[in-house]
Amino acid sequence: MKNKDFKVLSQHLGGVSRRDFLKYCSIVAAGMGLPLGAGAQIAEAVVNPKRPPVIWLSAQECTGCTESLLRATHPTLEHLILDLISLDYHETLSTPSGHQAEEARAASIKANKGKFILVVDGAIPVKDNGIYCMIAGRTALDILKDTAKDAAAIIAIGSCSSWGGVPSADPNPTGATPVHKVLADAGIKTPVINIPGCPPNPYNFLSTVLYYVTFKKLPELDKLARPMFAYGRLIHENCERRPHFDAGRFATEFGDENHRKGYCLYKLGCKGPETHANCPSILFGDTGAGTWPVGTGHPCFGCTEKGIGFHKPLFSRASLHMVTPPDTYPHTQEQQGKGATIAGVVVAAAAAGAAFAAVNKVAGKLGEDEKGKK
Amino acid sequence: MSKRIVIDPITRIEGHLRIECETDGGKVTKAWSSGQMWRGIENIVKGRDAREVWLFTQRICGV
Repeated sequence: MKNKDFKVLSQHLGGVSRRDFLKYCSIVAAGMGLPLGAGAQIAEAVVNPKRPPVIWLSAQECTGCTESLLRATHPTLEHLILDLISLDYHETLSTPSGHQAEEARAASIKANKGKFILVVDGAIPVKDNGIYCMIAGRTALDILKDTAKDAAAIIAIGSCSSWGGVPSADPNPTGATPVHKVLADAGIKTPVINIPGCPPNPYNFLSTVLYYVTFKKLPELDKLARPMFAYGRLIHENCERRPHFDAGRFATEFGDENHRKGYCLYKLGCKGPETHANCPSILFGDTGAGTWPVGTGHPCFGCTEKGIGFHKPLFSRASLHMVTPPDTYPHTQEQQGKGATIAGVVVAAAAAGAAFAAVNKVAGKLGEDEKGKK
Repeated sequence: MSKRIVIDPITRIEGHLRIECETDGGKVTKAWSSGQMWRGIENIVKGRDAREVWLFTQRICGV
């Protein structure tokens, strides 16, 4: 990126230097597992005046997703979103209210048909024709269907729009439905990316937007339409308390001695072993080590996983998908030519024992048969 | 002559708010404020294990 291009942008960035801006773009690229040069490409895309605008619709939400985004403190990220990503409609952040806000949305959709990114936070209530969420006299259901068909791509931010979240918890009083399901039922084929979390990590959202803006395609997604770079691994795999799990050291009650020592929270209902997210790697709030739920001593409740957060009881134990007690790891390199090992002898003895038992059994049976014949 | 003004959505707040008012000679004579979204969290927490109710009530508002 040339210096003169950056000057256009610097007025929006509140005194952030070109160096810091490029550094930030490189961090975003690294966070997504992209090669080194991608940071520069992202920077170019961000300053491109033809970048797509963002329209943000809110349905059954608590504004937590927006709040977490605004609290991101890497080089003035709110500017990145508000000015650079040209956010054309957002109920919480728009200056105009009422019909003026609605007109701005309609105008942007018309001008950017097929090009804008639609972000949705909150679940969509479908019960009783969607009357449980109304904006400007229309149901959220109606507005979503209307807007989604003209969008280039849709990002469902937060657990509510990804899986239904809080409002969909049993007994789901309003028929709260995730965005991808509303669209599938209406036959709208615009691609949907899910960024679940309650709240989701703002960097996962920003990285996804920047990836799309830069490469004009969606990042690699898992089978639940979550970006692989952020939701590719279980929390359990990167958890700082994992060694305690492997060693069998567990907290069994809040405030007990083991809890104070920072032992594994699995027995308190931690859903880390069945929840995919990068929380232990990128943490929250940019305030240093340990700033994520497990780090503060509370079990993960599985907000990024479909059917876990808000659905599975908070203190019930997680199902283990990867049980790897350390004693059963195979050797990475087998020793060669040293004769019989203890393990080898044990296996051979066990095999011999089994064979012996089998022979005995057969013999026994033969005996029985013979007895029967008599 | 009375005039009715509707402002919906009210922006820069959490949630979906609608304000309607009646004005007469430039003065507001009557006004109505209504929340336009309902999730039924009261019904969701009914009969639940008391230890996990905070998980839901805490998320009434994320601001």
